[in-house]
Amino acid sequence: MILVARRDTFPFVITLLALGFLGLFLLYPLFHVFAASFLDRTGTSLTLGNYARVLSSSFYLGSLYNTLIVGVLATLITIAIGVPLAFCLARLPIPAKAALLALAALPLVLPSFVAAYALVLLLGRAGVVTQWLREVGVPFTSIYGLTGVTVVFALTLFPFVVFPTLAAFKAVDISVEEAGQNLGASRLRTFRTVTLPIVMPAVLAGGLLVFIEAIESFGVPFVLAEDKPILAVEVYKLFVGELGGNPASAGVLGALLVACTAAALLVQRYYLGRRRFSTSARRTPPELVVAPWLRRLATTYCWGVVLVALVPFFAVIVISFLEFRGPVLHANFSLDNFRELLNQSSRPLVNTLTLSSAAALLAAAIGVPIGYAVTRFRSRISGLLDVVAMTPFAVAGTVLAIGLVISFNSGWLVLTGGWLILVLAWSVRKIPFNVRAASAILHQIDPSLEEASVNLGVSPLVTFLRLTLPLMMGGVIGGMVLTWVTVASELSSTVVLYSGPWATMTVVMFQALESTGAGIASAAATVLIVVTVLPIAFVYRLLRRYELAMM
Amino acid sequence: MAGITIEGVARTFGQVRAIDEVSLAIRDGEFFTLLGPSGCGKTTLLRMVAGFCDLERGRILFGERRIDALPPHRRSAGMVFQNYAIFPNFTVGGNVAYGLNARNVAAADIERRVAQTLKLVHLDGYEERWPHQLSGGQLQRVAIARALVIEPEVLLLDEPLSNLDAKLRVEMRAEIRQLQQQLKITAIYVTHDQEEALAISDRIAVMQNGRLEQVGAPEAIYRTPATAFVAEFMGTTNILTGTVAGREGELIRIRVGGQQFSARNADAPPGSVVTFSLRPEMLRLLAGDRAPPGWTTMTASVARVEFLGVLTRLHLRLADGALLHAVSLDLLPEGVANGAPVTLAYDPARVTVLRRP
Repeated sequence: MILVARRDTFPFVITLLALGFLGLFLLYPLFHVFAASFLDRTGTSLTLGNYARVLSSSFYLGSLYNTLIVGVLATLITIAIGVPLAFCLARLPIPAKAALLALAALPLVLPSFVAAYALVLLLGRAGVVTQWLREVGVPFTSIYGLTGVTVVFALTLFPFVVFPTLAAFKAVDISVEEAGQNLGASRLRTFRTVTLPIVMPAVLAGGLLVFIEAIESFGVPFVLAEDKPILAVEVYKLFVGELGGNPASAGVLGALLVACTAAALLVQRYYLGRRRFSTSARRTPPELVVAPWLRRLATTYCWGVVLVALVPFFAVIVISFLEFRGPVLHANFSLDNFRELLNQSSRPLVNTLTLSSAAALLAAAIGVPIGYAVTRFRSRISGLLDVVAMTPFAVAGTVLAIGLVISFNSGWLVLTGGWLILVLAWSVRKIPFNVRAASAILHQIDPSLEEASVNLGVSPLVTFLRLTLPLMMGGVIGGMVLTWVTVASELSSTVVLYSGPWATMTVVMFQALESTGAGIASAAATVLIVVTVLPIAFVYRLLRRYELAMM
Repeated sequence: MAGITIEGVARTFGQVRAIDEVSLAIRDGEFFTLLGPSGCGKTTLLRMVAGFCDLERGRILFGERRIDALPPHRRSAGMVFQNYAIFPNFTVGGNVAYGLNARNVAAADIERRVAQTLKLVHLDGYEERWPHQLSGGQLQRVAIARALVIEPEVLLLDEPLSNLDAKLRVEMRAEIRQLQQQLKITAIYVTHDQEEALAISDRIAVMQNGRLEQVGAPEAIYRTPATAFVAEFMGTTNILTGTVAGREGELIRIRVGGQQFSARNADAPPGSVVTFSLRPEMLRLLAGDRAPPGWTTMTASVARVEFLGVLTRLHLRLADGALLHAVSLDLLPEGVANGAPVTLAYDPARVTVLRRP
């Protein structure tokens, strides 16, 4: 009998290692969350009692309702804002388009709870704008509640709709539109019946991202929702509750949250599976010639939306350099807030910088080989890996963190209380992004290059290291920077997992929010913004090529 | 150097039989072409030899050595890819040296062999150039040099000329053929261009739906196609179906509608239905002169004349209304115009009775 050498040993090994890692640090913790939701008080027998109890409570039912309402509203509003914006950017002569695009991408990487906090500083009860409005006599109370949460999501998540839709508008083959007009349809009719259906899948893909981001978000509702219960926040409160925590109820809410995101993903996959248009544009559509007033209107709209979305961040930076006396703001320049922040300890800043770097490296080290295996070697087991590697996307940070705590609190592997658990949680959460980014680059690299290398006698492993990886490097680094930037301001799993010396900047800000330390919070927010924007600016050219991989 | 034996090879993708029990014996030093329309399985078969596509059944041997279970990087089959697959992050020299580095060849040897091989493809002195500085034809030469420098047992070429413009294509194909003969290397060449296949091959295998339709020398494939598919794929032809009306020695008379044709054929019994191919260039217009002895003549009228430059195509209408193509290399005889009656002659030996599908 001839021993048949496995041709695909290399991708097979990658797949097994990746499944092992994700199994241990994603599926196993998730299993624990679900298990907790089905176990009775003694922890020995299965029960549906937890679900019955939670779902009969009007408070928790309300949190489910509020979460979904906010998610749906955020999705609709961002689509309403984003689609016209994308159309203007794709087809109208807008001045300084490149700069506009760069600025429009910023809200995606800037920490959204900082925007939420800025809104509190501006429009909260003691907010700058609120007080001014009262002085002028406008009966404005505050932005707290579902309105505030929705506003922040609309302002920070609209780029998720803009970028895929913009790409779709650009990919529409102009001759399809010309054919529509040639057949006697007016411009408007052509847009409605030809162009819009072609870009619809992209709009929905973006909308889905908004929905998931909105319902998973912990920081924004924590800062702004106040008395309105929101799932992601209630999960956290139940788990770390002052009365020792309630893992069963936290598990139920966590399972509900995961069910919502998973359902959204399935609906989108079902819808998009039936509508796939191949848009192989030979000619990108030219800019439309429009009346000057229309052009001015479009320009005002585009720049208006993008700048308004950045106002909260500017506001936080400005406020952080002003003087606080207690919670009251005075219009004097001062560095006191930063002094106070660093007097506490510089440890959190160091933690943020080092742990984020570790997480970015780990996420790339795991995500890039996964992207390679699932893109280049299609098989049943790599299909499974593809699904598992995308799972973190549908799991709220709070839920993953709770699972990690339950799983690695005792037993053969204890991770709670250390820094590693933070790094693991962050990198697991960013693996889908790294996988997508890697496969986006790989789609631009002709697979016959690798075949040529193997054909010349170089093994698949060495081919990957010597040829493919160097060719992917630009994108891999871009992906790592974006990972770094987003985990540096990660809040939802961090607040569950940090302990004593391993607090990060986000934790400092979080604690300052809980104890009215507005000065420190604004200084911490400014530090986070700087930490985010600097690396992005540094590798901006590199990132532009891969901005679409972000979806 | 070695011959290539392919035995009972098969592969299915979903419902599609990509390769359906193919067996071939390619001789040592032979230039063998896999020819067929896109989707016929020719590239799949080549990739099986290279090791990029697994076999479901069958085996492949280089000489006496069975290679179908070997991973592709241990097969010693140099491949030239359709899009060249030149590594953009290496120089020309780096590309050509790539396979030698993998084999741990000494640095001095690498340098010498790279220079030697680049000279072979007329790119001497190009070592330091970057791929993006080269033209399509030059990239093609680098790809060939890169595949040859490792001294592979066989050379595999996957539509290597399809990305070049027409003039360069004709030059390069002659060069590839000349290089192959100089090195006496066994080569499998995949193309969908029948003219290219005829021009450079020792033998051709015409493929369709994952099966071999016919294997043979270029002349045999063109002149005596086995099936209607091969006859039509190898150039324009008249495919006709009729009943054998009678036999006179080696000649059979075939009735097609109201018209009678004759063909040289040994086995078709009278009364049987046969399909045959009559190439347009085999039909000669008689302008007052007599047909050569043994030829068959018939009359028709000119339905349409198409001037194509090097030749002129005639659409002829037979007495029973059927259409027939004929081709004339020369100027048309006086008086041949739309509607004019003409007399045609052909050699029945050049009419090919086809295998029924």
